Amino acid sequence: MRYLLRRLSHALFLLAGVSILAFLFTALAPGTYFDEMRLNPQIAPETVTALRAQYGFDKPLPVRYASWLRSVIHGEMGFSFAYNGPVAPLLLVRARNTLLLTITATLLAWGIALPLGVWSADRLGRLPDRLLSWATAGLLVIPDLAVALGLLVLAVRSGWFPTGGMASVDFETLSPFNKLRDLALHMILPVTALVLSSLPLLVRHVRAAVADVLNAPFLLAAVGHGIRKRTLLYRYALPAAANPLISLFGFSIGVLLSGSLLIEVVMSWPGLGPLLLEAVLARDLYVVVGGILGSTLFLVGGNLLADLLLYWADPRIRTESGAR
Amino acid sequence: MRVRRTFAKWLVVLGVLHGMVVCAGFFAPYDPVEQDRQSPYLPPMRLHLLDAHGHLHVRPFVYALRLRESSFDQFEEDTTEPHPVKFFLRGARYRLLGFLPLRMHFFGGENTRIYLLGTDAYGRDQFSRLLFGGQVSLFAGLLGAGVTLFIGWSIGAVAGYYGGWRDSLLMRVAELFLALPWLYLLFALRAFLPLAVSPLEAFFLITAVLGAVGWARPARLVRGVVLSAKERDFVRAARGFGASNGYLLRRHILPETSSVLLTQAAILIPQYVLAEMTLSFLGLGVPEPVPSWGNLLSGLQQYSVLVSYWWMYLPALAMVPFFLGYLGLASSFEERGAVYKIESRIWGM
Amino acid sequence: MRFRVSSMKVEASAGSQNMPPLLKVENLVKCYARRSLVGRGEELLALNGVSFTVFPGTTLAVVGESGSGKSTLASCLACLESPTAGNIWFEGKDIVKVEERVRRQLRPQIQLIFQDPASSLNPRWSVLEILLEPLILRRKFTREEMKQCASSLLERVGLSPDFVERPPTELSGGQRQRLAIARALALQPKLLILDEALSALDCSVQAQIANLLRELQSSLGMTYLFITHDLAMAVYLADEIAVMSRGRIVELGSAEQILDQPQHETTRQLLRALPRMTRALPAPEQ
Repeated sequence: MRYLLRRLSHALFLLAGVSILAFLFTALAPGTYFDEMRLNPQIAPETVTALRAQYGFDKPLPVRYASWLRSVIHGEMGFSFAYNGPVAPLLLVRARNTLLLTITATLLAWGIALPLGVWSADRLGRLPDRLLSWATAGLLVIPDLAVALGLLVLAVRSGWFPTGGMASVDFETLSPFNKLRDLALHMILPVTALVLSSLPLLVRHVRAAVADVLNAPFLLAAVGHGIRKRTLLYRYALPAAANPLISLFGFSIGVLLSGSLLIEVVMSWPGLGPLLLEAVLARDLYVVVGGILGSTLFLVGGNLLADLLLYWADPRIRTESGAR
Repeated sequence: MRVRRTFAKWLVVLGVLHGMVVCAGFFAPYDPVEQDRQSPYLPPMRLHLLDAHGHLHVRPFVYALRLRESSFDQFEEDTTEPHPVKFFLRGARYRLLGFLPLRMHFFGGENTRIYLLGTDAYGRDQFSRLLFGGQVSLFAGLLGAGVTLFIGWSIGAVAGYYGGWRDSLLMRVAELFLALPWLYLLFALRAFLPLAVSPLEAFFLITAVLGAVGWARPARLVRGVVLSAKERDFVRAARGFGASNGYLLRRHILPETSSVLLTQAAILIPQYVLAEMTLSFLGLGVPEPVPSWGNLLSGLQQYSVLVSYWWMYLPALAMVPFFLGYLGLASSFEERGAVYKIESRIWGM
Repeated sequence: MRFRVSSMKVEASAGSQNMPPLLKVENLVKCYARRSLVGRGEELLALNGVSFTVFPGTTLAVVGESGSGKSTLASCLACLESPTAGNIWFEGKDIVKVEERVRRQLRPQIQLIFQDPASSLNPRWSVLEILLEPLILRRKFTREEMKQCASSLLERVGLSPDFVERPPTELSGGQRQRLAIARALALQPKLLILDEALSALDCSVQAQIANLLRELQSSLGMTYLFITHDLAMAVYLADEIAVMSRGRIVELGSAEQILDQPQHETTRQLLRALPRMTRALPAPEQ
């Protein structure tokens, strides 16, 4: 229990640290939203100054940070100049969409990588394993951007899938079942891109971890006991190889998040990625801070989940009760 | 020995690839910003050895492209006259390696322009732009990785060698940087820097941002190596001879970090080239008309380009041989079949 | 038959008792604070009031099971760690209290030989570089002097000069330990601390190195502090033996005393652990 509490406090420390870091960056930034506004001849300079004061931009950084913290507690997370409203609701919708994409992709990628990696480790060094190694290496060296654009070209040329967005134009008029079907169709392309970009690393890690364990004396003993191959691989080898894979799980979420930023923009999926890009281009400060914090939250959440899994899977951590 | 040989092999591969990009002026037939407004979106020309009459030519040749009748964007080959490819001929001025003024090009056509990878919206030669774009992208990657490794190396060495409060502080900050998805961090850093800048400024800006983003991982790895190296008996022995901290670091401890640094370099460089591509693709990187692998692709954000001009997609694959080379280099540092370990370093585990 | 103290041993102890001691340790305490992130730290007493004296030209063996604080003692004496309390007098100067500048000059006079010669020699360097490192650090010698010094050192420890360009990884365990000894001798130290220096070697090699150490003692008048868990080797090499247990010296006496009249339970246990020939060897037929 102490282990979990410690991981939780660590996660909170990370979130606080990242928010401070983000604010520090804003202090170093040479331009603000208001500077762009000042260039606009239709807005009087007094108005801009007044606006600056209204949003507290004439105050020192710690004061701004404190007032931002207050607005986080009120569930606003600052104010978006471009959208002229609080950041939190804006963020929430987008974060939900990103989450939908990344969770689906994570589950799918691991669902494919686990059996494929075990299968390959079982045939270590033989032809199917070597072919798979080559395939994953090939996939590894193709940039995410090329994968995403390639899929898009394919979709446009074949016309099989919708090529962008999250819903068809007539989405609101559809029946609940068709709504779901429409959403699933729109998800195929970005999810495929994400899975393809993360799959090779996952497969290779699973393969290596399981192959490591397969040589262990206790497994050789199990073979001697005449236990069935399938049981051996999935009930004995895989749990023993779980530790590095669970930590990898936490990291894979971070990598998928980074990947989804690009893929969301390319496939115009209304997630955090496009929002962040817009905000960067418009210098919409609090949205940028919010976007970064949101993505950090996902990553930290993913790592917490990995910690939880580790706690569940590894009896050593439970009995050790917080030495380490 | 075996390891050293594969290492040398990959180094040669990478050397040739980088050499082509460094000498882009020589290998590219045209100036990367020279426009040919008459022929926008020309598809790639095919190299032939056999002409329309079935005659075999020793010298490869191309056919000029002309619009197909009753069409406004479909091209066909004009097979009446073959245009041979000439080698080592004079063409547009360029400066080799940035200072040597030359006019000699590796290849080109005499009466017609040869577009190996087609042209873009302004009729600029995509092949030339690809080579020159490599200069920007690859060197942003190289320089960015250099900056990152330098920062990470210094921080890791200080944290590992001196320990104590310096170690805890630096490693806490490193954890913060590792907690951010790196592409988001990249965006964030880019967000707070000026948007409209000249290509050169943009290049250095990107390099600086890239360099600042990734230091945490190499720092942690270097710290680990230093931490274990400073407890080695030969370091304790040298201390017994009256060695100073500077001597110990210089002669015994930092040499131990070289393999970590090399591996990290082989991992970071392609990663940073990709990052530059992503930024430029999204319009946050090097602006037109200077080509980079990222902004060569940015045209694809328009639906019409994506649908009609497939050759505009080719720069996306330019990175593949380089990435392959670096991956091979990275895995040749480890023993055979240990790509797994390299990757675990990519993930920072 | 029990182990017999070798009669060949250089009996230097009797004469040197009148000289001032080379090393005098008084009430040495070393305490490690084991801190955890949450809650209070635990304390580990590695040395708990250790005192002894060593006279020039003699050998003191410190014997004890693992974890008894032997290696901590070695690190403290070699100035690699500073003790929590107590004094270490070396030639009449307290190396704990003395200022850093003086300590750096005293340090080379006390040299440490480590257990594992593989890790005490930098594998990236050549034998010559390793041998010259202490001389280069002194910055007093010319290139010629250093070369001469290197060859005489190699000869002294019985290593062929053909090795100088090779990395230490191509040497055998015994050769490596010889190299480590040669390097330690380069600065002409007065005290050599051998921290389990023979334990990682094969039996026959152990004997060779032990003989080398005795030879060096008689020719150079070296003083050894021989730290080991091997009571038999301690008896073979040492004039005096100190038995350590849990950070304290529980018994201190001449090698004969320890062998014949062990007082403390730890000593008896160590003695019992010695291998014994229970069956008489067949008499050689003549």
